[in-house]
Amino acid sequence: MVSAKTRIVDPMGMHMRPAQRFVQTVMPFACDVTVLANGREVDGRSIMDLMSACLKQGMEIEIRCEGRREAECLQAAVALVESGMDR
Amino acid sequence: MGIELRGTAASPGIGLGTARTVRMPDLDFSAVPFRGETAEQTRLEEAVRLFLLRTEDMAQALGEELGGEAVGILTAQRMMLEDPALRDALRRAIQEGACAEAAVDRACGLFRDRFAGLEDPYLRQRAADIEDLRRRMLALLLGQEETDLTALPPDTVLVLHELTPSMTAGLDRDHIAALVAETGGAAGHAAILARALEVPAVLGIPGALDHIPDGTPLAVDGGSGTVLLDPDGRQQADFQARREHWMADRAGLEAYRREESHTADGRPIAVLANLSRPADAEAAARACAQGAGLFRTEFLFLDRAVPPAEEEQYRAFCQAADQLPGRKLVLRTLDIGGDKSASCLGLEPEADSFLGHRGIRWCLDHPDVFRTQLRAVLRAAAERPGLRLMFPLVDGLEELRAAKDLLAECRTELETEGIPVPRDLPVGIMVETPAAALTADQLAREADFFSIGTNDLIQYTLAVDRGNARVAKLYTPCHPAVLRLLRDILSAGRAAGIPVCLCGEAAADPRLTPLLLAFGLEEFSVSPPSILPLRRRLAVWTMEEARQVAREALERSAAQEIAAYLERVLRA
Repeated sequence: MVSAKTRIVDPMGMHMRPAQRFVQTVMPFACDVTVLANGREVDGRSIMDLMSACLKQGMEIEIRCEGRREAECLQAAVALVESGMDR
Repeated sequence: MGIELRGTAASPGIGLGTARTVRMPDLDFSAVPFRGETAEQTRLEEAVRLFLLRTEDMAQALGEELGGEAVGILTAQRMMLEDPALRDALRRAIQEGACAEAAVDRACGLFRDRFAGLEDPYLRQRAADIEDLRRRMLALLLGQEETDLTALPPDTVLVLHELTPSMTAGLDRDHIAALVAETGGAAGHAAILARALEVPAVLGIPGALDHIPDGTPLAVDGGSGTVLLDPDGRQQADFQARREHWMADRAGLEAYRREESHTADGRPIAVLANLSRPADAEAAARACAQGAGLFRTEFLFLDRAVPPAEEEQYRAFCQAADQLPGRKLVLRTLDIGGDKSASCLGLEPEADSFLGHRGIRWCLDHPDVFRTQLRAVLRAAAERPGLRLMFPLVDGLEELRAAKDLLAECRTELETEGIPVPRDLPVGIMVETPAAALTADQLAREADFFSIGTNDLIQYTLAVDRGNARVAKLYTPCHPAVLRLLRDILSAGRAAGIPVCLCGEAAADPRLTPLLLAFGLEEFSVSPPSILPLRRRLAVWTMEEARQVAREALERSAAQEIAAYLERVLRA
């Protein structure tokens, strides 16, 4: 399992489009992806979970990936979050 | 004479055709047996496969035509159905002995309720998308074919309970004459969709499906919200003529759907949009508005128990700005009081509220509410360079200075917190009191721009309360006092070298177009539906002709004479 901390920079937070892009980014790696924020754990492959976690701009999150290509998956997920997701 | 039904005028236009009633499918699954885990799982998978296939088709059909919101909703529905969390919930329900229908009902219901309980209004809306998903899945499982609306006979008037995003997506637009629905209001989802499709629509007629048998000839006026059943020959001819007129008019207007306007002799004039609710930004973008001259931030405060937090306002400003990328968007700070109330602010009723505690006066006395808004504006403007800030009902320099001081404090605060602020944020004022109009030259030295609010300026100048029926007829923009003030505000702005916009209803009043051009107005801001008609009117005038009309109008001294003259000019 690998993990990294990052911060939401998208001004809209984890809304529909960012959540869609997040899911589309991590899916191809076929890993288990968990997002930890606000003391809660949500499934990083679920737009329903991601959206309803109300992740807002400036919030620190931790992403955990577990699976064969976990390092690549984590890198892609962090890069997406740091790029602002909605651009 | 046929029966007439009245509802909400949700999308303008005239439609004449035959009723095609669409009943809500019966989604009762209480009689469906549980056929064993494997069988139910297979039924579910088959329904999911069909759902994804159809949704893809709809999104494609729609993508080419509409884009934007409706396609976004369909894409989201597709991803929700493929969502591992939802799939888990579905699988668990079936393992517990639920038939596929019950599993869908339970799992979607769970997520719908979870979203409905969220604080964020944007995310809360997603509950409606999940509900639409639930209904569509149940219909598929129960073999209740979704009514095929993709191929309809010509001149169909659809009569339905509720227009949903998924229905709109597959709609055979070429053959739909009008839409009539039992539910929905002018600002709702369905109305937005109907306007995007440019189909006349009357919504909110309870029992429409009971009143209108399938096959009834109908005449629909989406502009007035009326539906006429079995129109007689004379009525039919009347509607037909109006329909032809409307179609020709609409076709003629299409030429003005482009991002520039000018007078007949080529003087460029900016046509901007007034935004009164979130959906207006999309409508403005569709009409190719050159920006938004007025964003009424009040709507964020309506119908709620507590005022919106900084984050929510910030997000709403960013969202509107993103609809009009690279263009100017003027945020007017909270203009509450007068005829506008908001229960979350606990305003006390006043005897003469128009002369009372409203606009910038109220905000300066409620620095907590005001600062929250100013911080949200600064944060949004740091990332969206098109944003401008404007204060309402400014009477004189003291108020402008006090407001700017608060803004400077908020800026320092944000900087200390390490939050980005814009290097330069233009700050303007509404000129809407005679006091501001008469001292426009002084105000122009400290304001970066003016926006003339004619609705209030007229009522204050003429001392006429628009809402008082006994004096309302005295309310007119054609009074020479009003015209002189408009002329003088514009020349004060010109002398100081600051932009002046007009965002009151007068901007869309065809009688005043030549006068405003002659006075030197270069920015008109109107509601989104008025944009194309205004562009067409602007293109009629040369500056020389406009000046001639202005001269003749101002030579007359009575409001009625001026109005009569301007109406004569229009007809000529």
